[in-house]
Amino acid sequence: MTEHDDTRYERMLAAYRDGLRPPGDEVRQRVMTELAGRRQGAAERAWWRWFVQPHTVRVRPMLAAAALVIVVGLSASVSQLLVDGNGAAIPDGTVLVQFELEFPQAETVALAGSFNDWNDSATQFTRHEGSGVWSVTIPLPPGRHEYLFVVNGEQWVPDPRAHAAVDDGFGNLNSMIVVGPRGVVRS
Amino acid sequence: MGLGGSGVDGADGKLVRRILGGETHAYGKLVDRYVERFGEYATSLCRDADIAADAMQEAFIRAYDRLSTLKDPDQFGAWFFRILTNQCHNHRDRRRSYVPLDTVAVSGGRTPDQDLTAAEAKRAIDAALDRLTPDLRETFVLREIEGRPYSEIAALQDTGEAALRKRVERAKEIVRAALEEDA
Repeated sequence: MTEHDDTRYERMLAAYRDGLRPPGDEVRQRVMTELAGRRQGAAERAWWRWFVQPHTVRVRPMLAAAALVIVVGLSASVSQLLVDGNGAAIPDGTVLVQFELEFPQAETVALAGSFNDWNDSATQFTRHEGSGVWSVTIPLPPGRHEYLFVVNGEQWVPDPRAHAAVDDGFGNLNSMIVVGPRGVVRS
Repeated sequence: MGLGGSGVDGADGKLVRRILGGETHAYGKLVDRYVERFGEYATSLCRDADIAADAMQEAFIRAYDRLSTLKDPDQFGAWFFRILTNQCHNHRDRRRSYVPLDTVAVSGGRTPDQDLTAAEAKRAIDAALDRLTPDLRETFVLREIEGRPYSEIAALQDTGEAALRKRVERAKEIVRAALEEDA
């Protein structure tokens, strides 16, 4: 082994290291998109299965009357929501939707969902001063969206006031919201 | 950078348990962690960052699908390393059959005084790595290109340090010989 060989070997390795380019963030995006696609597929199968499978319905007249009152109340709430602007349409066809969570002990709260590739830090909530209420308002395109709240960066919790919860394909539930062209639609 | 030793793997184990408990979105943190930790290793084995990205994607999906079979969640790092290494070897083999001749042609007449470009070094080192067996190639990349400590490589490859040192020496002989022929 000559000194020349050693020098060439070291110089080659150094130049090789300098030019080494590892994969970037696209790997995370591709992996999480594939996994989200599986969840979406499983959830959609569960969603449509509900419509095509027979269901047994038991009706109690008193409860039916109470349910009717609730439905009327909800309709009024939705109308109010649109008037108040919580779900006011914005020019590009998306709709502003406000998410809210009361969690006084939380240090941080974020929103992760099908609309942001389930990124657990991209959409941060703001704490209402002097209260334990957190909220964030984001534009969403019309359609059905699944989401969860991420508390303190690691605890994934469903929205206690979600319109619905759907199977995530792995035995757990995601919260779901349906956004129509003119605002939030109660499912 | 540390590797799958006890300290880091403790954090891995916590994440793996959360994922197995239903927090599937926490997998993104593991992906970020191991793209950073093994990204250059994958690129060296696969020859190319784009191919390495494909290999890493497949490895992460396979690992996710088999996560429940991982006996000790604290050992995710070493376990994933084996999955990734296999994927990298597969992708490297696939890639080799598509490499155009002009990119592997050996150019001669270089002297130590000439500045080496990264592209020249890449061509020469890639050709030298092709002469190594998969085991030697893995060890060589981890030690000589990435500079990882022997203790870390031993944990990754489940091999004693003495055997690793011999493996590195053997790999260096082969690589040196290849570079000498290339000069």
